[in-house]
Amino acid sequence: MGYPHEPHPKETLILSKHFGDAGARSYDGWVKCGGYQALKRALAMDPADVIEIVKESGLRGRGGAGFPTGLKWSFMPKERRKPHYLCCNADESEPGTFKDREIMRWTPHALIEGCAIAQHAIQAEVCYIYIRGEFTEPIAIMQAALDEAYREGVLGGNAMGTNRRIDMYIHRGAGAYICGEETALMNSIEGRRGNPRIRPPFPAQQGVFGMPTTINNVETLVSVLPVLNEGAEWYKDLSLGNPKSTGTKLFSVCGHVRKPGNYEVTMGFPLGELVNDLCGGMRDGRTLKACIPGGSSVPILNREETEACLLDYEGCVEQGTMLGSGGVIVFDDSADMVYQIMRLARFYAHESCAQCTQCREGTAWTVRILERILRGEGEMKDLDLLLDLSEQMTGKTICVLSDSCAAPIVSGIKKFRDEFEAYITGAKQPVAALT
Amino acid sequence: MPALLINGQRVDAADGATILDAARAAEIDLPTLCWYPKLPTVGNCRICVVSVEGEDKLLPACAATVAEGMRVETESAAALDARRGVLQMLLERYPADHLINGGRAEPRNEFEEYVVRYGVTPRAVAAHELSLRQGDERPGDPMISHDMSLCILCTRCVRACEDIQVVGVLDVAYRGEGAQIVVGADGDPDKAACTWCGECVRVCPTGAIFEVMPRERFGESRVAADRVVRSICPYCGVGCQIDLHVKDNEIARVTSPTFEETTPNDGSTCVKGRFGYDFTQHRDRLTKPLIRKGWVRRGGRWIWEGATGAARRGGPWQSMTEEGRGDKPAAPPRAIGKRIRDLSLLERITADVRDRATTPETWYQPFREATWDEALELVTQELTRIHADHGPDAMAVFQSAKCSNEENYLLQRLFRGAFGTNNVDHCTRLCHSTSVSAMQDALNTAAASGSMREVEEACDVIFIAGANTTETHPVFGVSLKRAHERGAFLIVADPRRTELAARADVHLQMQPGTDVALLNAMLQHILAEGLENWSFIETRTHDFDTVRKAVQPYTPERAAAITGIPAELIRAAAERYARGPNTTTIWAMGLTQHLTGHDMVTSLLNLILATGMIGRWGAAMMPVRGQNNVQGSSDMGAIPFAFPDYQAVADPANRDKFARVWGVDPKTMSLVPGLTVTEMAREGSPVKALYIMGENPIISDPDIAHAEAWFRTIEFLVVQDMFLTETARYGDVILPAASFAEKTGTFVNTERRIQLSEQAIDPPGQARADWEILVDLSNRIGIKSPFSSPADVMEEIREVAPAWAGVTYARLRGGGLQYPVPHDDHPGTAFLFADRFPTADGRALFHAVEYADPGELPDDEYPFVMNTGRMLYHWHTGTMTRRSRGLDAREPVATVEVHPDDAAELGLADGDMAKITSRRNSIVISVRMSDRVARRQIFVPFHFREAAANLLTNPVLEPHAKMAALKVTAVRLEPATVPATA
Repeated sequence: MGYPHEPHPKETLILSKHFGDAGARSYDGWVKCGGYQALKRALAMDPADVIEIVKESGLRGRGGAGFPTGLKWSFMPKERRKPHYLCCNADESEPGTFKDREIMRWTPHALIEGCAIAQHAIQAEVCYIYIRGEFTEPIAIMQAALDEAYREGVLGGNAMGTNRRIDMYIHRGAGAYICGEETALMNSIEGRRGNPRIRPPFPAQQGVFGMPTTINNVETLVSVLPVLNEGAEWYKDLSLGNPKSTGTKLFSVCGHVRKPGNYEVTMGFPLGELVNDLCGGMRDGRTLKACIPGGSSVPILNREETEACLLDYEGCVEQGTMLGSGGVIVFDDSADMVYQIMRLARFYAHESCAQCTQCREGTAWTVRILERILRGEGEMKDLDLLLDLSEQMTGKTICVLSDSCAAPIVSGIKKFRDEFEAYITGAKQPVAALT
Repeated sequence: MPALLINGQRVDAADGATILDAARAAEIDLPTLCWYPKLPTVGNCRICVVSVEGEDKLLPACAATVAEGMRVETESAAALDARRGVLQMLLERYPADHLINGGRAEPRNEFEEYVVRYGVTPRAVAAHELSLRQGDERPGDPMISHDMSLCILCTRCVRACEDIQVVGVLDVAYRGEGAQIVVGADGDPDKAACTWCGECVRVCPTGAIFEVMPRERFGESRVAADRVVRSICPYCGVGCQIDLHVKDNEIARVTSPTFEETTPNDGSTCVKGRFGYDFTQHRDRLTKPLIRKGWVRRGGRWIWEGATGAARRGGPWQSMTEEGRGDKPAAPPRAIGKRIRDLSLLERITADVRDRATTPETWYQPFREATWDEALELVTQELTRIHADHGPDAMAVFQSAKCSNEENYLLQRLFRGAFGTNNVDHCTRLCHSTSVSAMQDALNTAAASGSMREVEEACDVIFIAGANTTETHPVFGVSLKRAHERGAFLIVADPRRTELAARADVHLQMQPGTDVALLNAMLQHILAEGLENWSFIETRTHDFDTVRKAVQPYTPERAAAITGIPAELIRAAAERYARGPNTTTIWAMGLTQHLTGHDMVTSLLNLILATGMIGRWGAAMMPVRGQNNVQGSSDMGAIPFAFPDYQAVADPANRDKFARVWGVDPKTMSLVPGLTVTEMAREGSPVKALYIMGENPIISDPDIAHAEAWFRTIEFLVVQDMFLTETARYGDVILPAASFAEKTGTFVNTERRIQLSEQAIDPPGQARADWEILVDLSNRIGIKSPFSSPADVMEEIREVAPAWAGVTYARLRGGGLQYPVPHDDHPGTAFLFADRFPTADGRALFHAVEYADPGELPDDEYPFVMNTGRMLYHWHTGTMTRRSRGLDAREPVATVEVHPDDAAELGLADGDMAKITSRRNSIVISVRMSDRVARRQIFVPFHFREAAANLLTNPVLEPHAKMAALKVTAVRLEPATVPATA
C-alpha cells in the first residue's frame, strides 16, 4: 500500500514513522521531527564510542547478510593513515524488496544523518550513496536533501560547526543487479565493470579506490539514529525474545496478499501473522501455498514453514531459509511454482556478471532446462541435472549470485517436486508461450 | 615463512603466497585456466579449487593465501567434482565433438587437455542447450584473428592487454551467457589503439585468439613443431628472447619464453618480434652469389670488360629520386574490415602488399649467378689489388648492427689485420655516436649504466628525452607504461606528442633541436633551488664550476623563449627530476641525431651528474640502442677509433696485442682512427673499395641522391646481404647471407646483456652465415682464421676483450650475461658506477655546453621543420619488415604526419598526396593528419624507398661524432600535382 496510510496497530513505527509525511523531507521538517540530534550526539563522541554503542545495540546489516554493524565498523583501521570511505548501498534491486526506496523518498535526511554518523565512526570524509538508477524519484529527493544539508552546514568543510569535513556524493547505478553486491558496487563507483572482487582483501582493508571502506545498507544506516537517540539498551529491547536479532525491520510484502506494502515490525515477529493479519491474508477462495521471506535469493518456504517462521535472522534459519533483505514474496494456491522458479532463474541468468564459470553458464543452462520442462519436453533425469547444476552453483563462486539462483531451485524441487513431475509426465499441460 | 601441508607433503611458502604459489613451488600440479603468471589474479574460472581443512567451502588456490599449519588437499573428491563441473559447464558452450568417444582425438589446447585429464565427456554440439560463444573476430586482420566459439572467457587476454601491455583493446562486454570478448568499442582494433603485439595470442588457453599465418599454412590443427629453438629477436635493442617453432625447415610461428624465465622481455614481444619473421622465407631471398655482368675471368684473373664511368653501375632501374614516381601498384587500404578470402582472386593479388616493396626484376638484370668460389675469388683479388694500388686508406668497411658479435669481430679483424685500415664503422654513426662521444668524454663509457628491469621496478621518476619508446622499443616502452601505472612520475621531452608524451605527467614539447637550452635551464633551476646533489658532485666529479657558470644565463624564461616550453613546466620538470629519489634518464635518436647532438647529450649528462642520478638501482642512465646488436657491434670494434672493448686504436700497446693474437705484423696496422660511415660515402672520400655487410646506406644515410652518385663512382663494392637491397644494386659482388634464424651467434642488448641466438633453420639455397663467409674470406686473404663455429670466435673475443673474459656459450644459455663479465665466475653486472666511473681517477667530468641552433632553420621558402624517425610496424630501411606480410599490411604506404590545422591551410586531407621539398630534393607522400606533431612540424618515417625521407635530409655533420643531422630539415609542403601512382 502506498503512503500515506494508517499503520497497522501491530507495527512498531520507528524508521517508517514519517513515511507519508511530505513535511519531513525538508531540512526544517526533519529537524522538527527531532532530526540531526543523533548526529549531534555522535559528533560529540569519540568515534570508538559510537562504534561501541552500535555494537551494544545488536544492530545487524539489513541488506541481506545480517552482519553485526558495529563489528563491521570496528574492522576499519583505528588510525586514519589514508582516506577512509563509506559507501551507502542504495542499489535496492533484490526482487520483492522496496523498503530503501521508501526511506529515501520520505526521510532523505534520515539517511544523510545515518551516513554522517557512520562516517564519523569510521573516520571517512567521503561517502558515496550508490542509488539504483531506476529510482529516479528517490534520487531527485536525495539530491535535493543533500544540497539542503550542504546549505545548512550539516555537510561540507565545517560539518555541524565541528570544523570537520563530511562530504557525500550520490552515484547512480546503471541497471545492474550485481552492483548491489558490495565489491561490485565499489568497482562500479570506480568506473569499472561491476564485477564482484575476490575477498580477501576485505573492503575494510582495501575497498573503493584501494582505500579502507565500509559498505552499509540504507536501512542499516537509518537504524543507527534510534540507537543513538534512545540508547543501545532501548534498541536491544525491541526484540521478541531473541537477543541476537534486535530492533525493528521493514518488510516489503508482495504477491498474492490483499494488502501488499511495507510493514515495520520488531525482530522476531511471526511471518504467518504478517501475511495473514497485517497484509490481510489471501484473496477470496485462495490459500497460502508458499513464501519467499527474504527477497528472491533465499530458499522457498511451504505453507507450514511459513506459518511457523519467526522473522528474525535465527528464526528464518530454523526454517531452512534466510531473513535476507526482508522482501516477502507470497504465493497462493494458484501459483505455478515451476513457472515462478523459471522466472527467478531467468532473472539471475540475466544479471550474472559472467565472471565465474558456474554462474555464467550454470544460470543460463538452468533456465534452458526449466523452460524445456515447462514446454513439456522435460525428462525425469532433468531434475537430477538441475540439482547437480545447483550443487555446482552453490558455494563455489566469487559472490553468491549463483547460490541465489540455486536456492529456490533446490528448495522448489524438494518441496514442490510433484509440480515438476506433472509437466514431465504430461499430467499438466505444457505452457504454450513462455513469457 | 608459513609451512603448510599439501596432500600430506610439507611445503614452506613465502609470506603472502597463495596456495597455488606454494603448490607450484613444490611442483604439485594444479589445473589453472584464468590464472596466468604475471597477470592479476581474478579467480573466475574456479578450476583450481582445493579442499582446506576447517573451511566449509572449497577455496580457489590462485586467490587464497596460505596460513601456518594449513592442510590442503588438491585432489579431494569435492575438488575433483567441482573441477569436472567447471569443465562440463564450459564444454556446454564449446565445440569439442572430436573429444567424444573417450577422447581418441588429440586435445588441441590447454583447456582440452584438462577435459581429457579429468575424464569429462563433452556433449555433442548438436545436443547443447547453450549456444557456442560469440565475440569480436577481427575479420581481415593480417596477423591476429579470433574464433570465439573456442573462448572460455578466462579473460587472460583482457588482462594481458590491459595490465601487461597497458593498452586495453580487449574487454568483456555484455553479461550473463551473452558475455563475450570484444575488441574496442566497435570491433575495430585500429580505433582501439591496438599495437598488434600478440600478447593476447600468447596467453589464450584455447586458441580462440590465434595468429593468422601459421593457421593459413598449417590448417586448423595444432602446429606441431619439429623443434623449438631459442633465438633473439632481430629487430630493436631490447633483445627479446623468442622461441622459433620450426616445421619442415621453416619458421612456423614465434612464441615468447614464459614469464618465469629470466629474459629481458619477461615473456612479451611486440608486433615485429611475434609476426615479423616471414621475411626469412620471402621469395626475394638471395640464394646464390651474384657477380656484376662485365666481370670475366681470363687467365686466372678477373677482368672488368663492361661499361666504364657512370654507366658502369647504371642499371635499367630508377634512381632513388625517381623511385616515388614509378608505376607501383596502388597500396591497399589498411587491411581491416574484409577477410582476404572474401576478396576476389584478382583483388587478392593486387592486395599482396609484398609486391610494392620487393626487389624489382630489373634490379637482377645487371647480375649473373656465380659460385661461391668465383665470388670469393673475385672479392679477394680486388680487395687485395686495391689495397696494393691505393694503400690502406682506400679500404673501408660498413659493418652491421644486425649481425652477431662474432661476425662483427671477424670483419673488423679482417680489415684492421689484413688491410691495416681503421676505416671501420657501422650504423651506430647515425644512431648513438654522439651519445658515445659525450659519454666517453664525461664518463669514459659507451653503454647504458643500468637495466631495463630496474626502471620498471625501482625508479621514481622517468625522464625521457627524444625517445618514442613505445614504437621504437615497444617491449621496453610497455614496461615504462607499467612503471607509470605503478606510480612513477613520467617526464617526456619531445617535439612530438608521442604515446608516452600523451600519458606523461609533464610533456616538454620543445621546438626541434633546442634541447640544450631546455636541459641547461633545468640544471639552472635545480641549482637555483639548491636541489643539486653536493656530496655526489664533490666526491664523484670534476669541473662542476665551469658548468655552474655556463648554465647561469639559462633561466627558465630564456629557455622558454628558445624552446617554446612554458617556464613553469621547465621548473616543475627540473624539480621532480632532482627530487627523485631515484630518477632514470632515457634518451634516443631525438637527442643524438642533431648537428648539436654531442652537446645535447653532454648537457643531459651534466644534469645526471649534478643530481647524482646514476649508479643506483632505479637511477639509471639509459641511452636506448636501436638495433638488436648496435651495442655489440660497437663493443666488437666496429667503430673507427677502437678495437674490441673500446681499446683505442691509437695506443700502440693495444695494436701490438691485437696484432699478436691475429698473427699479423703490428707495423702493417694503423694507429690512426679511421673514417666514419658518414665520411666514407661522400664526394672526395679516399675510399675505393667498400665492403658492406648487412647495411643499406642508400636509404639510411642523409642526402641519398648524393650518396647514390658516390656509390656509382666507387671502384669495387661488395655487399653481403639477405636481399638485393637498394645499396646492393651498385655492388660488384653480392654475397647471399643467412638470416638471424639461420645462424648461431651472440647479440648485446641495450642493457649490455649478451645473449645467445641459436640456429633454427638452414639458409635458403647456397646462402651462408655471415661468419662462415668471413672466415672463408679471411683465410683466402691471408688472415689465419681457424674457426669452425661462432663459439670458437667467442673464445678469441674473450682473450682480447677484458670485459668479456668470462663469457662462454654455455654460460649464455638462459638469461645471458650483462657485461662486464671479467672472469669465469663473475655473475655479470646489472648496474654500473656504484662507486666509481671508469676514468683514470674514478671521477666523472663535467663539460660546459652552450646552446646553438640546430642547423637548417625554417624560412619563408621552407617553412616546415621535418623530423624523421621510425614507426611501430617498420624497421629502418624496410628490408625485412616490408617483406613481412602482416607488418607491411599495417603500414603499406609512406605517410607524413601533418598537423590538422596545417593540413587544412594547405588544403590537404587524410590520404591526399603531398609533395615535400627540401633544399636538396623532393618526395611525394601520403598525408596522415595527426596532432602528434606540432604546427609547422612534420614527421616522415624513413622506411619507404618510394618516398625516401633521406632524399631530403641535410648531409651536414656533427663535429665530434660525425653524426648526420637527421632530425631537423627545413622543408616546404604542398599538395602534389602529379599523383605518385598511376
